[in-house]
Amino acid sequence: MMFLDSFNFEFQAASLLKIPAALAAFIYIVFAFVVVKQVYKMTETLEVGLEGLLKAVSFLHLFFSIGALLAILIIL
Amino acid sequence: MPEVFAAETKKTSHSPKVTRHKYIPDKSELEAYGHTKNPFCSYNYCPDHINFIGKDHSEKIILLLRRHPITNIPWIFLSIILVSAPIVLFVFGLLDFIQINFLIVGLIFWYLFTFAFIFEEFLSWFFNVYIVTDERVFDVDFLNLIYREITDANIDQIQDVTVRVGSVIRTVFDFGDVIIQTAAQIPQIEFEAVPHPDRVAQVLRELRVEEEIEKLEGRVR
Repeated sequence: MMFLDSFNFEFQAASLLKIPAALAAFIYIVFAFVVVKQVYKMTETLEVGLEGLLKAVSFLHLFFSIGALLAILIIL
Repeated sequence: MPEVFAAETKKTSHSPKVTRHKYIPDKSELEAYGHTKNPFCSYNYCPDHINFIGKDHSEKIILLLRRHPITNIPWIFLSIILVSAPIVLFVFGLLDFIQINFLIVGLIFWYLFTFAFIFEEFLSWFFNVYIVTDERVFDVDFLNLIYREITDANIDQIQDVTVRVGSVIRTVFDFGDVIIQTAAQIPQIEFEAVPHPDRVAQVLRELRVEEEIEKLEGRVR
């Protein structure tokens, strides 16, 4: 019975955290998208030969943030 | 016997003769003046393959400057702490009371924010540049994610150049501020914490002389 109560509490806590965590991850995706736009803006302003690498890193960051949202939806 | 007249000895200087009569130094001279192919350098004399918004086709970039790399130490140090904090907490068992699923989510957020912090700080250093061309000086500032400010002034509008090197670290590592007073709409352009500020000031001085000569000769672009 104690085990079941504990399981129930953990399940509820996870469910309660799921929505705010997913919301935070969604906001982070928006931020990561802004970072991609920022990198594009910066590389337009100054071209030094690292444009491709910086754009790739910003896209990787965006993909990781989408992955984080999916992970939150699955784990919690 | 006292010396009545002493012939002037020839001093070798690292300060370049930049543009006088469009004099272009050879490769070894360029390197001595601070030319490099390293895209992360903070002082580059006559950089290769660099372009920026608003550059004229005939305009030649003389200097590309960034803040001295040593100014990055505070955020690099903070980044190391941010990256290693969860590992240290985990090793000392301070995260044991958290359930594994919450821990994973927490770590995901922690490292995403840490990465964003590192990337933003790097971008801020890398793209906040100061450019000196043979016609203008530029100050490119990215103040936050979406705000960009580009200030420029013609070389012939420069009225005064001040070099400010004000602390032990700045003296030891030879970096400081170069403050350019202009007759343009924006009266002051400041190159903050740039390496070799004296060399920068000399380059600007030579460019002003060159501009004066061009005016006198009627070669103004």
